[in-house]
Amino acid sequence: MKNMLAITAAWIALVTAATAQDPLLQQLADSRPVLQELQRKMSEVRSLYLEFTQERHLKLFNEPLKSEGVMLLDRPALIRWETTSPYQSIMLGNHKSVAQFESNNGEWKKLKLGFPQLLRRVMEQIALIHQGKLDSLTNDFAISVATGTDVAVLTLAPKDETMRSMMSSLVVKLLPDFSGTREVLTYEPGGDFTRIIFTRERHNVTFPAGTFDQTNPLGIAAVRAAMDHVP
Amino acid sequence: MFRDCCLMLLVSVLLAGCSATKQSLQGTVPVPAQPFPPDALVTQRGVLTVRGRQFSVNGYIAKSRTHGLRLIMTENFGAVLADVLVNPEGKVFVMRAKPPFRRAWVERYIAADLKCIFGEATDSDCPVRMVSPTHFIVERRWYKVDLWTVETKPGTQPAEMFDVTKGGKP
Repeated sequence: MKNMLAITAAWIALVTAATAQDPLLQQLADSRPVLQELQRKMSEVRSLYLEFTQERHLKLFNEPLKSEGVMLLDRPALIRWETTSPYQSIMLGNHKSVAQFESNNGEWKKLKLGFPQLLRRVMEQIALIHQGKLDSLTNDFAISVATGTDVAVLTLAPKDETMRSMMSSLVVKLLPDFSGTREVLTYEPGGDFTRIIFTRERHNVTFPAGTFDQTNPLGIAAVRAAMDHVP
Repeated sequence: MFRDCCLMLLVSVLLAGCSATKQSLQGTVPVPAQPFPPDALVTQRGVLTVRGRQFSVNGYIAKSRTHGLRLIMTENFGAVLADVLVNPEGKVFVMRAKPPFRRAWVERYIAADLKCIFGEATDSDCPVRMVSPTHFIVERRWYKVDLWTVETKPGTQPAEMFDVTKGGKP
């Protein structure tokens, strides 16, 4: 359950959009206007295509453990999270069900998921946030905002003690006008952290048929090709 | 509960080839002595099947000819599920175990599988099949794990990684 909370938090962060400790950042005394503006912006987003690089920084390892992937969201509740490197895995969700596929030597196999209801709940949370309903965040997190010349930084500190034992904070870096997400960091109490850097972002795109199909999802190459035609 | 136990018993008998002892599975091909470089960081993707339900995990294995083995197992989004160290003498240290994994399971099964695939273990309790140089299948009574090696970075691993006083959380 604690794991799921942490995962939920990470997902939420991905949808709402870490900080390099920019000395020019100014902490806002009242974050509400900014959050309202963010909510307004997000409510305008019908669909979202994000390419990312994920770095898992563990104290034990000299170098971060890296992976790459894409995240796709489409209203009202279609979600696709795909890892493309160093392995291939697809997770798909809608308001009713979730599915996961793993690639075995180029052949996709659908998993008989354990605890699908928990994953579906996470997916639902993402969908809610995607619709701009940030209210649910304030129940679980103390949110602070800092702004700089070229970045806006949201810091989410879990209110729940058990959740804090897994994640000390979650930091989201956005473009100053909230038109795009730069990166998300999740910090753990022991000093490990995960950094997700968004390398390509498209809003309000039309995904090709089959993108969110939970039986035979369209290959990511075809989805990417369609995105290439988006301005 | 009784029905579950019967089912598990049936499955275990089938898996064990009607053997009453903890022998390797029929058809199991022993893992070659050194399928990996003696010093390396190996990334594996795994699908764990327990009673028909499947869970995907990631494994990061630091392998050192002088210091032993260390495995960090994570779930899809990076949270650590298990952290285990095996010293050159084969002694197991469970550094971390988080739900759904129990400390005893990590020691009894995960560490044992780790030794079978990456260590020098050659005893009969290694139910590991190497389907290809990058694909291993571990089948024990209660679970099956498909493991795919997705990345191997040869090179000496830091000695601190094999220090039992470091890395684990209270």
